[in-house]
Amino acid sequence: MNSITAFTVKSLDFYYGDFNALEDISVEIGVNQATALIGPSGCGKSTFLRCLNRMNDLIPGTRIRGEIFLGGENIYDPGVDVVHLRRRVGMVFQKPNPFPKTIFENVAYGLRVNGFKNKAALREAVEKSLMDAALFGEVKDRLHTSALGLSGGQQQRLCIARALAVRPEVLLMDEPASALDPIATQKIEDLIHELKKQYTIVIVTHNMQQAARVSDVTAFFYMGKLIETGSTEALFTRPQLAQTEDYITGRFG
Amino acid sequence: MERQNFHKELDHLKLTVYKMAASARKSLDSACKAYFERDDELAQAIIDGDREINKIELDIDRQSLRLLALEQPMARDLRMIVGIMRISNDLERIADQCVNIAERTIFLCQHSPIGQVPAMASLIGTTRQMFSMAVTAFRDMDAEAARKIPAMDDEADEYTMQVLKGLIEVMAASSPGFEKRVLKMRRSIQTIIISRCLERIADLSTNIAEHVAFIAEGANIKHQNKL
Repeated sequence: MNSITAFTVKSLDFYYGDFNALEDISVEIGVNQATALIGPSGCGKSTFLRCLNRMNDLIPGTRIRGEIFLGGENIYDPGVDVVHLRRRVGMVFQKPNPFPKTIFENVAYGLRVNGFKNKAALREAVEKSLMDAALFGEVKDRLHTSALGLSGGQQQRLCIARALAVRPEVLLMDEPASALDPIATQKIEDLIHELKKQYTIVIVTHNMQQAARVSDVTAFFYMGKLIETGSTEALFTRPQLAQTEDYITGRFG
Repeated sequence: MERQNFHKELDHLKLTVYKMAASARKSLDSACKAYFERDDELAQAIIDGDREINKIELDIDRQSLRLLALEQPMARDLRMIVGIMRISNDLERIADQCVNIAERTIFLCQHSPIGQVPAMASLIGTTRQMFSMAVTAFRDMDAEAARKIPAMDDEADEYTMQVLKGLIEVMAASSPGFEKRVLKMRRSIQTIIISRCLERIADLSTNIAEHVAFIAEGANIKHQNKL
């Protein structure tokens, strides 16, 4: 496990109205490694993921207690600029959601919003992001055609390129391959292996084999609680708690 | 997300291992009896019965590979399948050692007894006990019981040495006539080989115990103090 932490979460509780969706979560998420969040539907893993870049702020009737530190700063402090936070902590969703613009403009969007004006530098940054997302080779001759013409797997990698363009520290992935076919899924998984050299990745997945394949650390959530966290190898071969063992061996669900 | 069908198939795999262990135990008991009672018919039955154990081993390999490929087992299920593949390999080798004992016994039955080798009874007793404890530890998934078995291996080694020393004395004792001396040496060497087979069965029983600890707790107790 990496000893340097990206996130330090302390006594986190999260509520949808009166419903306590996350209870007393404390965990550290290491830098430059992939952390997988697993657990049955409704266990709180996606809610937890969205806490990490305050995406839950957008949902009315929610409240949070506790602290999440990113690089020494509590991201829930009143003075935190949420737009800046989301630049540091990018996100990719289950369903690819490219803008109805060209491939180039999708990736350039975040850069333009952040005041990037130099055309040559913009082009270079867009190409680098597409390369980092392992998409450039497939789209280099049609950068100025609509992103909606890409396949689902390509669209998802475009969304990853878009997230990478603003040079985030962390990439949150909420079931990024669940809508993709096995080949496109394989490409995303290979990409995660590459990306974690430069970025901290936190991924929610329902596919336990995928969690086992792509992550260094796995955290198991159940009914709003973080039950067990540890190295992926240890968790999938010799989990410490019976509840984790029963879940990953399919003895309850 | 409960995987009832997979767990039913895993239970069936475990039952197949119990069946193989029962066959190996029968071979071991018969091999010891045939040696003691100089029963060459029983010894031949062990040789004839080995084919059945080989078939069970192939069946376990097939079932295990199938579950690994199709079910992607995890945690204790994964350890169970990996452990079972190793245990079935050890059981098959134990059965092979029993065949080896039976072949030596058939030779010994054709000649007059070599005389008392007291440590042989102790070696047989320890080996059978180790095997029995290892199989029971597997059935009960009892890591604590399994951990007691490797220590008994030193006892088996000691009895094997005693058998060897005793038979060296037998071979060294003078006897009239060249042919008689050769035959005495041949009978002694065959008996030494039997003791060696029993000692290997004790080793393989230790292996089984180590696999049980791995399956039950994920703990690797192999090669302790030897790494």
